[in-house]
Amino acid sequence: MKRVITTAAVFFTAALLVAGCTPGSGGDSGSSDSKTFEFWSFTGINQKIDVDAYTKGHPDITVKLTEVGSSTETAQALTAALAGGKVPDLVLIQGDDLPKFMQSPDNFVDLATLGADKVTDDYLDWVIAQSTTEDGKIIGIPTDVGGLAIAYRTDLFKAAGLPTDRDEVSELWPTWDAFMDVGKRYVQATGKPFLDNTPTSIFFQAVNQGSERYYDSDRKLSYDRNPQVKEAFDLTLKVYQSGISGKIASWTPGWTAGMSKGDFAVMSAPAWMLNAIKTNAPDSAGKWDIATIPGGSGNWGGSYLAIPKRAKNPKAAWDYIADRQSPEGQLENFLSKGNLPTTPSVYTDPRLVEKTDPFFSDAPVGKIYTESVVNIKPFYIGPDDATIGSELLNTLTSVEQGKVAPDKAWETALANVKNALRG
Amino acid sequence: MAAGAQPAAHTSEKVTAVTTTLIPAGAPKAPGRPTRSRRIQQGVRERLAPYAYIAPFFLLFFIFGLFPLLFTFYVALFDWDPIGERSYVGLENFTELVNDPRFWGALRNTFSIWVLSTVPQLLLALGMAHVLNHVRLRAATLFRMSMLVPYVTSVAATTIVFAQLFDRDYGMLNWFLGMLGFEHVDFTASVWGSHIMVAVMVAWRWTGYNTLLYLASLQAVPRDLYEAAAVDGANGWKQFRHITIPALRPIIVFTVITSTIGGLQIFTEPLLANPVGGLTCGAARQCQTLTLFLYEQAFGRFHFGYGAAVGVALFVIVVIISALNYLLVTRIRSERA
Repeated sequence: MKRVITTAAVFFTAALLVAGCTPGSGGDSGSSDSKTFEFWSFTGINQKIDVDAYTKGHPDITVKLTEVGSSTETAQALTAALAGGKVPDLVLIQGDDLPKFMQSPDNFVDLATLGADKVTDDYLDWVIAQSTTEDGKIIGIPTDVGGLAIAYRTDLFKAAGLPTDRDEVSELWPTWDAFMDVGKRYVQATGKPFLDNTPTSIFFQAVNQGSERYYDSDRKLSYDRNPQVKEAFDLTLKVYQSGISGKIASWTPGWTAGMSKGDFAVMSAPAWMLNAIKTNAPDSAGKWDIATIPGGSGNWGGSYLAIPKRAKNPKAAWDYIADRQSPEGQLENFLSKGNLPTTPSVYTDPRLVEKTDPFFSDAPVGKIYTESVVNIKPFYIGPDDATIGSELLNTLTSVEQGKVAPDKAWETALANVKNALRG
Repeated sequence: MAAGAQPAAHTSEKVTAVTTTLIPAGAPKAPGRPTRSRRIQQGVRERLAPYAYIAPFFLLFFIFGLFPLLFTFYVALFDWDPIGERSYVGLENFTELVNDPRFWGALRNTFSIWVLSTVPQLLLALGMAHVLNHVRLRAATLFRMSMLVPYVTSVAATTIVFAQLFDRDYGMLNWFLGMLGFEHVDFTASVWGSHIMVAVMVAWRWTGYNTLLYLASLQAVPRDLYEAAAVDGANGWKQFRHITIPALRPIIVFTVITSTIGGLQIFTEPLLANPVGGLTCGAARQCQTLTLFLYEQAFGRFHFGYGAAVGVALFVIVVIISALNYLLVTRIRSERA
């Protein structure tokens, strides 16, 4: 009797397991039909708006959107998936993480085979160059760029006796040196810091304005001998020593609090930063405005859509890319959630040019930001770019915290980068 | 030791005796059957049964404990990119590690944070257990239960709240300092400041837990000991010194060992305490612990081989410290005996 019961229990359990698996495998085969695909994105960029716009036009398609986490967490999850897990059909990769994946392009579908080779001319050449391998494989389609600008507080500028009109403010600082002088005037008039911090607001902007960054045109590491990097580094130290920095590191609690309390009048604002300001300091609406960045142009950030090699439904994923990342699709995207298009053909579209943002005193955000990306000189971004960038930034932060003397900073930075590149 | 071994041998003899009497006792109940083979079968079964009962644990342990452990040793010998190429490099990761100032910095930070959090935490827990055990304490259960509140609070939530308390510009701590006329202190920027910050978070979480452990074994101490001491004129401190501490000695050893192993693996607090610098706990890695360094290498930069080497190093360190602990424990035991 006992044996009978045991046998029955075993069969029952097995049946349960099988039953439990069946819907799962059914779901898997469901996603391999041509109507469904899985999409990994990151939080904070409102991908759902885009997906909804797509499914409205294509009611027969089902997009399974997962917001994995921050851009870094999404890249980590993708790495784990590529190393041997279940991969999505479509994934959003942040620009800084892309070079790591470009190292092993075989993990991804060459989008040229799906038709991307016919649309490359739609995109800014230096942006699509970053997701194209040396032998011409296209790994990702750029969804947005992070054009550079400066956000400033009109109320604080007024109190300091500075002009508040965005054109006049832009004319105040054609160069970073002029920018520093304006800062000194502000500090003299108010006794308060002008800028949030120098590592992020000066170095990460200035170093992105050159014609070459941490690698030379032969794709060799050159961060330690490229004069443009040293120049941006020295500029940062000079601005720090001029005493206009609030020394409030970006992304800290003090920084977000300072943003709404007006602890600093100016901060760098790559296109995607506008959303961060709105979220972190909602009660400062209308007090901000946007001026051009000293030096005129530059880019920081931006993302790419890619299709992993083992994707079950690459065709549906590509159809989505082709539709949503077409010039018209990117323009729509900009108008609905502010992502700066990578397709220069829409930069003159009146809908983009006339787009203003009430949070930033009705600044023409489309016009300001697209102007900052059209004149960019393309440079190669390599696999260690993110590491080098963060080590240089961290050393400059240590300088602001008084832990590293400015005259020792470059030496320390090089040593830190060297350590970071081992292992 | 010999005195302790004898009763154990005695017990096992007893067990064998019971078993041998059980088998023949069962046999006559089924007359007319081939008893010999059945008896053997039953014997085998009975001997295998215990292994079958513990098998699930060991199976899971092999899959999720031992295998990853051994695999880590294997990975540490490679230059291993999870999605790209991997190449055998022998012990190169370890020679790199020995020459890497970031590793030594992380080791220093780990030990410093461990000492700063463990010592005050256990002393405080001892004192609180003594107070909570007091006869005349009212609402004792309320106080005892509230000790567990920090323990059941999410580490992430605790860390974020503490990080704000320690903030340079708007932190409550600096607000008090400012009121008293002091300069604001940038805790997160300095080595000591950030270590103290992380240590406070760790101590906050574990003090109550250790208090309850102490309290539990204190309650096994007969009250008349305290009463007799009081009659003899011993004050609170003397009672604490001469009754509470000796009574708690075994549990103190236990908490020292567990908090050592835990303290060497502090991760969440330094990960979330200092957003500057990402996975480095500060721009100059001032509070990056070994586990955080491991995570940065393996999952921030995808240097699996190097990360695994850090893991192996951490393993060796924990083994050494545990061995020292063990020696200490046996010495204390033999001193008692």
